[in-house]
Amino acid sequence: MRDVVYADYQSSKPVDPRVVEAMLPYFGGTFGNAASLHAVGDDATAALEDARAAVARFFGAQPQEILFTSGATEANNLAIIGYAQRNRRKGDHVIITEAEHISVLNIAKYLEKNGFKVTRAPIDLYGRVSPKKLRARITDETILVSVGWASNEIGTIQPIAEIAEMLAGSGVALHTDAVAAEGLVPIDTSAVPVSLMSLSANDIYGPRGLGALYVRKGAQVAPVLLGGGQERGLRSGTEDLASIAGMAAAADIMAAEMPAEAARIGAIRDRLAERVLGEIPDSHLNGAPLEPSGGRLPNNAHFRFDGVEGEAMILSLRDEGVAAATGSACSSKTLEPSHTLISCGLLHEEAHGSLEFTFGRFSKVDDVDRIMAVLPGVIARLRVLSPLYKAKAKTPA
Amino acid sequence: MKSTQYSEKTLEHFRNPRNVGTLEGPNVAVGRVGNPVCGDMMDIYIDVEDDRIKDIKFQTFGCGSAVATSSMITELVVGMQLDEALKVSRADVADALDGLPPIKMHCSNLAADALHEAIKNWRGGIKPEDATTTPVEKSCHPRPAEVVEVEIANLKDYKGGGVYTRVDDQTALAGQRVVVLDTGDRAAQLAIDLTDHTGRVVFMTTGKEPSVSSAVRSALRLSDVKLLTEAQPLELKGESELERIRVHDLNEDEEYELTADALVVLE
Repeated sequence: MRDVVYADYQSSKPVDPRVVEAMLPYFGGTFGNAASLHAVGDDATAALEDARAAVARFFGAQPQEILFTSGATEANNLAIIGYAQRNRRKGDHVIITEAEHISVLNIAKYLEKNGFKVTRAPIDLYGRVSPKKLRARITDETILVSVGWASNEIGTIQPIAEIAEMLAGSGVALHTDAVAAEGLVPIDTSAVPVSLMSLSANDIYGPRGLGALYVRKGAQVAPVLLGGGQERGLRSGTEDLASIAGMAAAADIMAAEMPAEAARIGAIRDRLAERVLGEIPDSHLNGAPLEPSGGRLPNNAHFRFDGVEGEAMILSLRDEGVAAATGSACSSKTLEPSHTLISCGLLHEEAHGSLEFTFGRFSKVDDVDRIMAVLPGVIARLRVLSPLYKAKAKTPA
Repeated sequence: MKSTQYSEKTLEHFRNPRNVGTLEGPNVAVGRVGNPVCGDMMDIYIDVEDDRIKDIKFQTFGCGSAVATSSMITELVVGMQLDEALKVSRADVADALDGLPPIKMHCSNLAADALHEAIKNWRGGIKPEDATTTPVEKSCHPRPAEVVEVEIANLKDYKGGGVYTRVDDQTALAGQRVVVLDTGDRAAQLAIDLTDHTGRVVFMTTGKEPSVSSAVRSALRLSDVKLLTEAQPLELKGESELERIRVHDLNEDEEYELTADALVVLE
């Protein structure tokens, strides 16, 4: 692959070489099935439980509260569908927010098709859900609230501790998809009483294709995958031991390095934001303020540029060797613009002009310089093409 | 297929679009299609001589295929008789680009429509400044920029819940998404002042331009106020407090919802 400035860590992260190293023994050496009763199986069981303990430790959980899945999408399915079905006799109402990842949105649609009622709680200008507005939507029939820990798109961190406090003791369970926040901000289930939490291995630089669901002791879920009864009967299928060992190694590395790493990534992000907003006219920041107290993930910079469309920016940046993302309709399979941006109050034409940069462990300070060497030119070129931008500039003052 | 899996020819036209720009003169007509809501907007200008397309230019807001199809069609039809140009179809444009991803065949392949519209406008004697974006009902009279009486069916239901008829304390709107309806200079000045307190102020007007004095208009342009023209609020939505405004886009004749915390309709 040619040398590309990769600023799309939110969509996929490289696996840390130290993690790959930790996974290798489980392909040929410790290859057993943890369910087997012989010694080869026992080795696998021991490795599996060690890994479970390591992952649990990183998230402030008990080992028995961690179930391994094929990824965060499966964890979301198990958490939301599994909880809703298991607790249906208590009620049929589920609340999500307008800032959720598409996997949660589509699970909510599935629940609606299957007789559940789903309410979508609104978000503010910055993409933050208001606990007060959330509470106003709780009814006697509400059994589950699902709020992502942070937005995968604009990086807004939700007041998850406040929501968890509010729901504690109410009989309404709280699920959180924590994937976007993993490895960037502390996530501690011993301090924040969520009932269910979806996790991804890749988002802490572990392998793709592995995730986990945290299930607080006492929270009841029904399995959505049936089979041999692995993972306490809640997630059947022989465990992917190599990947699980990889997630454990990734968690140990992240536990040691996160504070310094998050600060370093935040500095790169701040530098980009300062230059983009300072050097490109009619550019705007989407989402929460950049200040450390602003409630924004340190890796995320999300902009919009008047009169320019997102996919056209991505294509042009691709030609210039920069990998970024957009919330524009034209880049999505549904051809609809980002629901999160619209819910933040943007007009469609503004949502179409969005461009997202996310940095990570292997980002370098000079990535910003390389991006800024080409981005102003890309925006200027597309604005020459654009009837919308011309219209604005041409209006007599 | 990924939306970005374009043919080499499509990418080449996107990278080096031909005939970008606008045209002026007595023999120029424009075709405007699409709308910003769906993500594509296209203007195709033709300069006609002896019933032939003597010159052609385009401007496009949109994705890769929207740009490439615009560029391609200008190459296909320059010098053509108008009747011949009317026969150039979306499929012809896609074929000339060695095909488009299926998902782009409809929404981002509007260049032929824009060209046909331009030819129609030329034959109908509609000047570029009077050309509206299709699809809309044809009208040769631009909408007057006078203040339109606001009729929001359930405005009263949200008094004290996000609807303001006066703003005495601007700091009360800090951090909120504020929509100020165009009721003249005073409203526009309030919108500008509110940008000191919140990052999102929309000034909504039913006209093509706000109905304010020219001094206030230029102040609006230079401010951080987001100007939303040809927009008519229809209905307010939200659980006890204002959360969304249903808006009629008068140019596209479409409805959509705008998220907002506060609506200011000065008395």
